[in-house]
Amino acid sequence: MLPQELIEYIHSSRAAGVTDAGILHALADAGWAGALMQLDDSVMRAVNLIKTYEGDTNALNGVSLSIQRGESVAIVGKSGSGKSTLMHILATLDKPTSGELIIDGRATSELTRADIDTLRNKKFGFVFQQFFLNGRNTCLDNVTLPLTIMGISRGEREQRGMEMLKAVGLEEKSKQRAGELSGGQKQRLCIGRALISNPGVIFADEPTGNLDSENSAMIMAMVLELQRSRGITLILVTHDADLAAMCDRIITIKDGHIV
Amino acid sequence: MRAKLRTLLTIGAVFIGVFAISLTNGLGSGIRSYVNRQLGNLGAENILIVQARQTFPNPVSQDVVEYDQNRQAGQFNVTFLGADDITKIRNIGGTKSITPQFDFRIEYIARDRNSKKYQASASQYVEGFRLEMAAGRLLTATEQNGITIPVRYVAPLGFSSAQDAIGKTVMLSYKDRSGLAQEREVFIAGVQEQSLVGNVDMTVPVALAEEIYRAQTDGASERYPALFVQLENAMADLEQVKQKFSDAGYDARTLEDQVGTIGTVINTILVVLNVFGAIALLAATFGIVNTLFMAVKERTSEIGLMKALGATRGTIFAIFSAEAASIGFWGSSLGIIASIIVGTIANRVATNTFLKNFVGFDLLAFPVLPFLGILAGGIILALIAGALPSLRASRLDPIQALRYE
Repeated sequence: MLPQELIEYIHSSRAAGVTDAGILHALADAGWAGALMQLDDSVMRAVNLIKTYEGDTNALNGVSLSIQRGESVAIVGKSGSGKSTLMHILATLDKPTSGELIIDGRATSELTRADIDTLRNKKFGFVFQQFFLNGRNTCLDNVTLPLTIMGISRGEREQRGMEMLKAVGLEEKSKQRAGELSGGQKQRLCIGRALISNPGVIFADEPTGNLDSENSAMIMAMVLELQRSRGITLILVTHDADLAAMCDRIITIKDGHIV
Repeated sequence: MRAKLRTLLTIGAVFIGVFAISLTNGLGSGIRSYVNRQLGNLGAENILIVQARQTFPNPVSQDVVEYDQNRQAGQFNVTFLGADDITKIRNIGGTKSITPQFDFRIEYIARDRNSKKYQASASQYVEGFRLEMAAGRLLTATEQNGITIPVRYVAPLGFSSAQDAIGKTVMLSYKDRSGLAQEREVFIAGVQEQSLVGNVDMTVPVALAEEIYRAQTDGASERYPALFVQLENAMADLEQVKQKFSDAGYDARTLEDQVGTIGTVINTILVVLNVFGAIALLAATFGIVNTLFMAVKERTSEIGLMKALGATRGTIFAIFSAEAASIGFWGSSLGIIASIIVGTIANRVATNTFLKNFVGFDLLAFPVLPFLGILAGGIILALIAGALPSLRASRLDPIQALRYE
């Protein structure tokens, strides 16, 4: 736990409009940065992220943010705003050109590639707009893919897979090929796949982008219900203001900045 | 579906290569094991066949050459050996006995004067040579009237079995120096198994060979195509002994040397067949590379997803390597199994037809170890072929890969 005075300092600074990066810098000057990393309750903290692509303007121009455990955060912005780049960096799929990403008190720049792979496997779940299901494989095989990668035995995989399918209402489809499902069912399967490893954070990249409005509402409700009941952090990337409004907090990105 | 077909075709390519190599290997093992067994049976380790070094004159030369009574004029100008050569060779030393090879011809063999006559050829039996016998015994050095016949003569001569022929009297006929047919009564001391190497003729003892030779020549002639030289010590320093003979102007060979040329021919044929198999396998290797590259391309987004979900480079590499290995495994296993099936059928057909009389000759042999080697080789080749595509798959950037569709 953070010492009370430190929490108060952070809160008062935020109230005064100081950015998290500014707070961090101030704390670093005071010799508190290390303590902050360890004692902070945030599941994810980004400090001054900059991402430059060759021959291009900066995709990210110094983004700092902190995401609390169990929080649902929507990252919104137009296409080309840098929101996807931000999500990729937060999800450790991409590396920032400079800046630091701290996950569970550990600086990702100091982790090996294998550590990061393990981190993604155990702590993150992903829901994509394009589903990325293997249509020839059964729903059970698809939903248990993270466990397969983790190297968990078939028996346990099937047991946990069936529980998960039940949670997303697809237990009767377990032996069916994923390619035969409807769009809404596919995305429910993806939610199951994202949750099966009991991750701390779920990244959802335009999860309703390929769905009609009825299914969108159903999927969004399901994601939020599961996320809240399980205390999972949700990072939702969308350009849809209505979806974003359902989250606890909205971070808007424009031209690589938080606005 | 298309991916499956592609994989099947690649397995087919590996199959063809392995099938060819495996069949060649079986053929090689079969023939070699037979020849080796026969060679082992030959015995006579300390006997050298000594001939005059043959000279081959320029075929377009029109020079007039001085007459030499030992040099037979003719297409091949065979140089014979004579009594002086026997002395010369004895003087080289280390010889136990020197037996001339008597050059004789017989006309036919028959049960008796009134029964059917069969064409026959006979060679002089050299003491120490072992022949595989179906019945009876080998000839001895002091034998006068015994002969051995190949097993194929048993039935035509009217014997019920090889055993039945033993000790029975038959008649050999030859033409004497004036062209008159002479008959000579002999008895059957032994019946030889049919063989591809070594002696395939009847054998007659030295005394009988000489007797016929004298009757067919002027009686005092000493012209021998070869001398059988028995050495005092068996082959301890064979090369040295051969060199000594060579220095003296002779060409000395063991029976194994003579038969060995068969092995060389067989080996050459096998090498050619193996090269075909290797070329097929090489083509299959490129097939594997291509198939896996296509598979990586087709499964790009799947690979991207797995990497996003935390699969390490090693895991992805292992997945595609396993795919390559399984292509190698199935292609090789099926190729080996097919070659064993084809080989077994070929053996059965061969032993019932053209190899009928060759006891113990399997056209193809299938020892286990080389096949395990071929199987392992097939899998390793596939793994090597799969390394590059697997590496590419393992290095895919998940973001790019997920954007791929």
